[in-house]
Amino acid sequence: MKNATKNLYALEQLSAGGTCVHRLHPLVKLMAAAVFIVTVISFDRYAPMRLVPYIFYPMILTALSETPHSMLLKRVFIALPFCLFAGVTNVMFDTAAAFTVGGVAVSYGAVSLVTILIRMYLCVMAVLILVSVTPLSEITGEMRRLRVPNIFIITLEMTYRYIGVLLNEAYSMITAYRLRGGNKKGVDIRDMGSFAGQLLIRSLDRAERVYNAMACRGYALQNTLRRSRRLTPGDIIFLAVVLILCATFRLVDVNRLIAAGIFGGV
Amino acid sequence: MHMTDSLLSPAVGAAIAAVSVAAIGYSVAKVKKDDLCEKKVPVMGVMGAFVFAAQMIDVTIPGTGSSGHIGGGILLAAMLGSFPAALSLSAVLIIQCLFFADGGLLALGCNIFNLAVVPCLIVYPLLFKPFVKKGTAQTPGRITAASIIAVVAGLQLGAFGVVVQTHLSGITALPFASFVLLMLPIHFVIGLGEGVVTAAVLCFVYRTRPEIMDSALTGTPIKAGVPLRNTIILFATITLVAGSVLSMFASSYPDGLEWSVERVSGHTEFETENPFIEAVESIHERIAVMPDYDFRDAGEDGSAAGTSAAGVVGVAVTFALAGLSAFVISRVKRKIS
Repeated sequence: MKNATKNLYALEQLSAGGTCVHRLHPLVKLMAAAVFIVTVISFDRYAPMRLVPYIFYPMILTALSETPHSMLLKRVFIALPFCLFAGVTNVMFDTAAAFTVGGVAVSYGAVSLVTILIRMYLCVMAVLILVSVTPLSEITGEMRRLRVPNIFIITLEMTYRYIGVLLNEAYSMITAYRLRGGNKKGVDIRDMGSFAGQLLIRSLDRAERVYNAMACRGYALQNTLRRSRRLTPGDIIFLAVVLILCATFRLVDVNRLIAAGIFGGV
Repeated sequence: MHMTDSLLSPAVGAAIAAVSVAAIGYSVAKVKKDDLCEKKVPVMGVMGAFVFAAQMIDVTIPGTGSSGHIGGGILLAAMLGSFPAALSLSAVLIIQCLFFADGGLLALGCNIFNLAVVPCLIVYPLLFKPFVKKGTAQTPGRITAASIIAVVAGLQLGAFGVVVQTHLSGITALPFASFVLLMLPIHFVIGLGEGVVTAAVLCFVYRTRPEIMDSALTGTPIKAGVPLRNTIILFATITLVAGSVLSMFASSYPDGLEWSVERVSGHTEFETENPFIEAVESIHERIAVMPDYDFRDAGEDGSAAGTSAAGVVGVAVTFALAGLSAFVISRVKRKIS
C-alpha cells in the first residue's frame, strides 16, 4: 500500500522536470499521445513488424525527458495479465501456419500474441510518458479550456489529491489491525464492514471539513482560474513531427525499405 | 477487468467513448440541478479517493483461502446516488489509466462504460433501489441481498461488455461463445465476493449513519426530468451513429465489421455501391505503399520465408536505430549538463 502511494507520486515528481519535453504545451503532448495510440492500434493483429518503427517514440521521448525507462517499464507489466490471456488464447485457437522458420511452423496465433504484446508496450508507454512529463494540473487545465464541465474536473483533481491522504489513513488502520490481530494477512470478512465502513464515514466527514475550508477561502464552481498558454513554434514542430512520422510508418513499411536498402530490393 | 488499448480497435474504442462522454455529460447536467451541487463536488472527489484506498484492503474470504477486495460502483452509488457516483468513478478510472497503467487512453471510454456507467446508471437504479426503497426501514438482509445481486449483475454486464468490445475489435481469435463462457463464471465468483464485502460495509454504514444512504436514495431521482427510457434510447442512438460513422473510416481492416457482416449475411464480404466508401477505398489503395503487407502474404505453404527473413533484418535495424538514438540523446544531454 505504501508502494501504491509512492508509485503515484513518483510520476508526479518526474513531471515537475524542466526538459524540453516538459516545456511543451500540454495539449500538444496529449494530442501526440492520442495520435500515436490510435495509429498503433489501427494495425491489424498479424502485423507485429509494422509496429516496430513506433518504438522510436518511447525511446526518444524518455531520453529527451530524462525519464528512467526502467521505471516506466515496470508499470507496463500491470497491463500484462489480461493481454497475455487474450494473446495465449489466440495461440490456442489460431493455429494455421503463418510462415516457417528453419522448418518450424509459426502459427498466426503466435504472430498475433507478439502483436498484442508490442501494442501493449507502445500504448502503455505513451500514456506513462505523457503523465511523467505533464503535471495533472496542466492536463486538467487544458480540459478546462476545452470546456469539459468544471464539476467533473474538480472531482478528478480532488480524487487525485486525496488518494495519498486516504491511502495513508487506510495503511495506518491496517497496521493497527495487524498489531492487534496476530499479524493477519488480510482483514477478516466479519471485521470488514466496520473496517471499511469506518474509513468511509471518516472520508465523508473529511469531505465535509474540506468543503467548509474551501468555502471559507472563496471556493465556488464558477470561480476556477483559467490559465491559457500560447503555442510556441517548438510545440507546432513537435506535433508535426509526431504526426508525420506516425502517418509515414502507418503507410510505408519502413522495415521493408531498410531491408531493401541492405539487400538491394526484396 | 480493465479493458486495454492493445485489445481494442480505434472504431470500437471511439464509439464506446462517445457513449461514455454522453453519459458523463448527462450525469454532470443531473448533478448541476442539485441544490447542494457545490457541496457535493468535494464529497465526490474524496469518495473517489476512498474507493482507491478501499480497493487496497485485502479481505480474507473464509473457507476459500483466497482474498477479495471491494468493488466501487454499487458502494459509491449507494452512498452518493447514481449520477455523482458515475462521475466519481470515472475520475478514479482516469487516474488509474494515467498513473497506474490500468486500461489505456483510448480504452478509457470502454472502462468508464463497463465499470462506471453500467453499475451506477443502469444496475443501481434498476436492481438496487427497488430492494431498499426510501421510507421503509432497511433490514440487513435486504441490504445484503440488494448489494450481492447488484454487484454480481454489474460485474457480469461489465465483463460481457469487455468480451463484446474485444471481440468487435477483432484482435482475439477466441470464439465469442467460449470467451463469454470463460469470462462470466470467473466474474460471477468475483462478484459474489465483492457483493458480500460491499454488503458488510453498507450494513455498517446504515447502522451508524442511516441518513447517508437515505439521502442517496432521494438525492437524484432518476425519474425527474428525463425518464430512463429516453436515456437508454439516447445512448443506443449515439452508439449506433458513432459506430457506423467510425467504422466506415476504419474500414481498411474491418475485422470486427467482417465478423458482424458474416453473422448477418453469411458472407464475409459484400459489394458496396456507396460512392463515398468506394472513394475512400480507392484513396486508401493509392496512398498505401504496401496496402496489404503482413504475414498473410506469406501464402498457404509459408513460401515467403525469404521475405520474412529480410523483414526481420529490417526490424532489427529499426530497433537498433531507435535504441541508438535514445542512447545518443541521453549522452549528449549528460554532457551538456
